[in-house]
Amino acid sequence: MKKLFFLAAALILVQTVPVLADVPQQPKAPGVESKGYVWNEPAGEKAEILKLKGDAERGRIAYRVCQGCHKSDGAGLRDGTYPQLAGQHATVLIKQMADVRDGRRENPKMFPFAGKHIIDMQEIADVAVYLQNMKIPHDNGKGPGTSLARGKELYKSDCHDCHGENGEGNEKKFYPVLAGQHYKYMLRQIMNIRDGKRGNANLKMVKVVQNYSDADMEAVVDYMSRLSMPERSAVRK
Amino acid sequence: MKKMVILAVMVGLTATGAVAAPPKGDPAKGKLIASQVCLACHGIDGNGTEPTNPEFPKLAGKQPEYLLKQLKDYKSGKRKNEIMVAMVASLTPDDMANLALYFAGQKAKPGVVKNSALLAQGKKIYMDGNPEAGVPACAGCHEADASGYAFFPHLAGQHAEYTLLQLKRFNTGERDNDKGLAMQSVTIKMTEQEMKAVAEYLAGVPLK
Repeated sequence: MKKLFFLAAALILVQTVPVLADVPQQPKAPGVESKGYVWNEPAGEKAEILKLKGDAERGRIAYRVCQGCHKSDGAGLRDGTYPQLAGQHATVLIKQMADVRDGRRENPKMFPFAGKHIIDMQEIADVAVYLQNMKIPHDNGKGPGTSLARGKELYKSDCHDCHGENGEGNEKKFYPVLAGQHYKYMLRQIMNIRDGKRGNANLKMVKVVQNYSDADMEAVVDYMSRLSMPERSAVRK
Repeated sequence: MKKMVILAVMVGLTATGAVAAPPKGDPAKGKLIASQVCLACHGIDGNGTEPTNPEFPKLAGKQPEYLLKQLKDYKSGKRKNEIMVAMVASLTPDDMANLALYFAGQKAKPGVVKNSALLAQGKKIYMDGNPEAGVPACAGCHEADASGYAFFPHLAGQHAEYTLLQLKRFNTGERDNDKGLAMQSVTIKMTEQEMKAVAEYLAGVPLK
């Protein structure tokens, strides 16, 4: 009887679910949850792309398929749905795109517009340079501003060494620029990193934030959302 | 004509490798073919003879790169359409380039909005997409004024019926000649209501 019910339910599903275009699905690569995971292993497509010389003008054209979400100024959405990319280190952009392509960083929304089927390695190198050269916005999404003292304290003790005094990150070490990034985006990422949901997380960072309460995360991310970086040329090495 | 040549040269200069140069050819020869082969459905000026017939799109003012790619795709079978496949059967590569240049150089007439209640929603999706569902803004590739760019077609003023039919065909994969499967990836996340709204909005986007 139960079986019959399932059969009927399945039939109804088959009849009502419309046929959809067959678009590529994001693959899955082992990440932080797997044994022997090494953060930022210099291998695979990422290593190949990093060897290529990007061209900002070609990048402007290739960026078209990105700007439907990340917008023409690279600023994404202030509500944090889509991150701010303008002025981000090219190395970071390349690593993140490669991780999404491999499936080490899960992102089914982005994959259709970032996979090998739509953008090639040279175009990724080009887009990365194009974005890196853009100005970081100052009107990014910010937090409520209620625990900034606590946020500053946490930032100075836990984040400062890698992400820098002004959130400038480190291009060579693949540490992202935080200045100008949207509060809600950073909050989502830091929580995902703590909770093991961001497959390409840095293990050092997982360790730093693993005992953070939600309140501490909100405080430190609020502080981060107010960081302001000097001219990009001053921090490029 | 002169303007178009200048424009073509300019586009050729700014596009550095990532985008193929626009087709070369003779639009006057294209007009001759258009007057024999295309005019019954698309009109000699490329504005379509029956705005409500979803199979008779406006071609006037679209990018020559885009028009040529569609003709080639009909010829190779990448884009399927019984009528069009028959129409392109006798066309040579030069004929197709000439036609693409001819229709690209025609002046598009403004489209007609029939259901203005859909315009606000259509504009929102066109400009902002649907972030929750992961639908990118159409404006990202097709430009805020829907004037398009190279292989991303000009959409402003297109008949709503045609636009809607294409969105539906991308959604089901019936049309699958989109670069990088971009349109299929976008439309599988759209509701039919959203498609209708965007199509209606585009019909009303003013032409430059």
